[in-house]
Amino acid sequence: MDFSKSMAIAASGLHAQVGRMRVISENIANSDSTAQTPGGDPYRRRIPTFVAQLDRSLDAQVVALGPIRTDPTEFPVKHEPGHPAADAAGNVKLSNVNALVEMTDLRDAQRSYEANLNVIGATRRMIARTLDILRG
Amino acid sequence: MATPVIAANAYAQLARIGDPASGGLAKTIGDAPDGATGPSFGDVLKNALVSVEEAGRKSDAQSQGLAAGKASLIDVATAISETETAVQALVAVRDRVITAYQQILQMPI
Repeated sequence: MDFSKSMAIAASGLHAQVGRMRVISENIANSDSTAQTPGGDPYRRRIPTFVAQLDRSLDAQVVALGPIRTDPTEFPVKHEPGHPAADAAGNVKLSNVNALVEMTDLRDAQRSYEANLNVIGATRRMIARTLDILRG
Repeated sequence: MATPVIAANAYAQLARIGDPASGGLAKTIGDAPDGATGPSFGDVLKNALVSVEEAGRKSDAQSQGLAAGKASLIDVATAISETETAVQALVAVRDRVITAYQQILQMPI
């Protein structure tokens, strides 16, 4: 039935956005993570990707979380000679996570999740209204 | 006066419907009549019941998975919502059939 198909597709969107939230929370939680060794690289920001997939049982395109890429931008450097991760010159590489960008992504994920929830809600209302024909 | 003849025919037909040898009431409702194409109402109802039961089992399994920490909340919510829809559809059809049957019962003979 097409109603259950659209619900399943919207549910795939929910799954994808939950996965995105997981990646964003990783980024936010690790925004202060530095290297374990002196002069090493700190936590590199991770970027979730989405791919359209053909679900054969549904015969429809659903969304899935694709490979999670890393952000190639430069690490900001801070001069802090006493830090355990500081290199010979006393510079510490900090994570390239920008809290403002992550918060924007978080809101985006939240809105996309709500959009998919609205699809499910609208489908349910359509089903209920259709059943109302039977009830007369 | 043709009325007694009509009444006699009606009684004869009623007797045929009620006669167990010809299949009785169960036959008229439960099975497809001879020469009819397509599934009978009984078959449709049976299929609907089976699909509702299947949806119920699926949502039960998902709920148990959630309690065990294996299933995701989204899967449980969609499975339960699907079951709810199936049950609502079945109940609506049942109510409709019961209403029709009651209308037949109230028909003045």
